[in-house]
Amino acid sequence: MIIVRPSRFADLPGIEKLVNESAARLSTLPSDRDKLGEKVDYSTRSFAGDDEVSGKERYLFVMEDTETREILGTSGMDASAGNGAPFYNYRLDELIHSSQQLDVYNEVDILYMTHELTGTTALCSLSISPRYRKTPYFDLLSRSRFMFMQLHHTRFVQRIIAEIQGMQDETGNSPFWESLGRHFFDMDFATADYYSGIKSKTFIAEMMPSHPVYVPLLSKEAQDAIAQPHSSAADNCQFLYREGFKLGRHIDIFDGGPTLEASRSDLNTVKSMKRKQVKLSEHQVGLQYLMCNTRFNEFRATLANMTDGMGDVLRLKRATAESLQIAEGGDVAFAPL
Amino acid sequence: MMLIRPIVADDLEALYCMAQSAGVGVTTLPANEELLASRIEHSERSFSRSVDPQDAYYLFALEDTELKRVVGVSGIMARVGLDEVWYNYRVSTTVNASKELGIHKQTPTLYLTNDMTDCTEICTLFLHADYRNGHNGQLLSKCRFLYLADFAEYFSSKIFAEMRGYADEDGNSPFWECLGRKFFTMEFSKADYLTGLGNKAFIAELMPKYPIYLPFLTEEAREVIGQVHPHTRPALAMLESEGFNFNGLVDIFDAGPLVEVFVRNIRSVRDSIKRHVMPSQQTVSDIETPIMVSNRSFENFRVALIDQSQIKQDVVSLSHELQENLQLESGDMVRTVPLRAKRAE
Repeated sequence: MIIVRPSRFADLPGIEKLVNESAARLSTLPSDRDKLGEKVDYSTRSFAGDDEVSGKERYLFVMEDTETREILGTSGMDASAGNGAPFYNYRLDELIHSSQQLDVYNEVDILYMTHELTGTTALCSLSISPRYRKTPYFDLLSRSRFMFMQLHHTRFVQRIIAEIQGMQDETGNSPFWESLGRHFFDMDFATADYYSGIKSKTFIAEMMPSHPVYVPLLSKEAQDAIAQPHSSAADNCQFLYREGFKLGRHIDIFDGGPTLEASRSDLNTVKSMKRKQVKLSEHQVGLQYLMCNTRFNEFRATLANMTDGMGDVLRLKRATAESLQIAEGGDVAFAPL
Repeated sequence: MMLIRPIVADDLEALYCMAQSAGVGVTTLPANEELLASRIEHSERSFSRSVDPQDAYYLFALEDTELKRVVGVSGIMARVGLDEVWYNYRVSTTVNASKELGIHKQTPTLYLTNDMTDCTEICTLFLHADYRNGHNGQLLSKCRFLYLADFAEYFSSKIFAEMRGYADEDGNSPFWECLGRKFFTMEFSKADYLTGLGNKAFIAELMPKYPIYLPFLTEEAREVIGQVHPHTRPALAMLESEGFNFNGLVDIFDAGPLVEVFVRNIRSVRDSIKRHVMPSQQTVSDIETPIMVSNRSFENFRVALIDQSQIKQDVVSLSHELQENLQLESGDMVRTVPLRAKRAE
C-alpha cells in the first residue's frame, strides 16, 4: 500500500535517493544531505508543535510504499511563506505613459519588488519518482496537502501559492536571470539558485536592485520568459490549474517563473471533501478516492476504492483503515479523484 | 564690425533663415516662425524689464554692422523649471554588497532629477555657417558672461549649459533608441522638434520615472552617456576653458552632458576689469589680441572686440565708430576682458 505521511529522520536516505534522480524534482528541494536533514528535522518539529518554529512551520510529507519501504515522493508546504523573513517576488504591473498634448498613449510593463506574498501558505518540495508521475499517486501526493490544510485550517491562511520553476534554454540558462539578476549578482543562475536554497535569503535583499525594473529594457528572451513555466513543470502547472489555482501577477525574482495562487476554500479537493465515521468492512468496491485520517502529526493519506453512500458512516476496508491508522468509529476524510 | 546687441523684432527673418539651416539638435532654435517671433518678443520684454527677472529670456544677436544683418544668436534663460518641470538624469552609483557571499557590486544608475530647477541656463547658441571663423563664435558665446558679470542679481549664482549629445550621421541618438524610444514611439528628431517648441515637459512626463540601471541599456547607449556630439566638442572645450565642469547630469533624451559653474568663477567674469572710455581718432582694424568690451547697459547691452593695444591701464581708447556702435561717450565705464584665457606658460 502507498501512503502519504509526515517525513521522519529515518526517511533521509530514501529522500536523498529520490531527489538525486534529477528527473524526480519538480520544485526546489535541496540535494545536499545536511540540508535535507535540516529540512526533515524542521518538519518534525513543526508537526510536534515546537515553540521555536511556531508561526513559521514547514511541513514535509513523504509518499511511501509500506511494503518495500521505498520513498516514492515528497511534498510540502510552508505555513508562512518567507518563514519569518521577507518573501521576495516581482509583481508584474503596468504603467500608462500618456500625453494628451502629444497624442501618445503607451502601456509599459514594470516589475515591482514585493514582499506581499510573505505569510501566505506556500506549496513546495514536490518530487515524485518518474514511475508514478502520470498516475493517481501524483494526485495523492499533491492533493493530500490540501486535505491536510483544510482539516487543520486554523494553522494555515486561506491564500495558497505555488512557485513554478521558470523557463530555461537548452543549456540550462535562464534568460530572465541573464538579463536581470546576473547584472547584480555576478554569478550564474545555478549558483544563485543554490545560494537561495541553502543560504539565508538576506543576500537577495542585499544584492537585488531595489528599484522597479522596466520590462521593455530587458532582453527579448527575458521578456518572453516572464511567467512562463519550465517545460518540466508544465504538467504540474496544468494540475494546479485544474485544482483551482490561477496565474497571479507575481513571478520569481530569479527565473521569472510564475506564481500560481488560490484561495484554499476554492480548491476542488477542499470543495469536494467530506468527513465521515469509519465502519470496517471486509470487501469494498467502487471508485477510487483520496482518503486520509484527520489527525495532525499522525496524518496518513492513501488511495482506496469505496462507495460513498448516504449518512455519516463510511464503509472502509480493514486494510485501508489500518494503513490510515483509523479504528472503527474513527474519523475519515475523503475526496473524489 | 561684429557687434553684439539685444535681438529686435526686425531680426525675425534672419533668425528664421538661420533656424532652417540649424537642423536637428539645436532644440532651442526650432524653425517655426511664430515661435521665433514670440521668443524675440520675450527677449525684448526681458531687456526692457517688462517681465519678472525670473521669467526673463535674453537673446543676444551678433550683427555684421556692414551688412546690417544678424548672423548669430545666443541666449540666457534666467531660470529653468519654474513654470514647467525641468528634468535631467543624474549618473549615479548603486552598490549592492553581501558580506555573506563576499560580493561588492557597483551598478551605474540613472536617476531622474529636477536638480537644475531655478538655475540660469546659457542656451540657444547658433552662428551662421559663413561666420564660423575668427573670433565670432567666442564672442557670441562669451558676451553673455559680461552680461552676467554686471547683472548677477538677475540670475542664479550657478550657471549651466546643456551640451548636445552624441548622434550618428543620420541624426539618430543611440541613447534615445535604447531608452526614450521604448517608452513612446517617436523618432528622435520629432521628440527633439517638440522639445524646441516648448513641449519638453510633456515628453519628459512620458519618460520612465524610476531609476534606470545602466546594465539594462545597450552598450552603444551606455557609451554615449555624458558624451557630446562631435560638432559640439569645440563649444564644450570653450566652456571648460571658462571654468564650466560636467556636473554629473545628462539630458534625458540624448544623454548629452550638463556643464555648470558659479558666476563668480567664470573666467570672463573673474578676469574682467572696468575701465573708462577715451575717444580716439585712430581706428584699429587689426585685432591681434582680442578684448571683449561691453557697455554695461542692461537694456541696450552692446559688446564688441577691440585689440589689447587699445587698453592703457584703466582707460580704453575707442574710435568714433566703436563708440557709436557701443553707444558710449567719453568717460563712460565699460567692462573689458580678454576674449581668450591666457595660455598656461
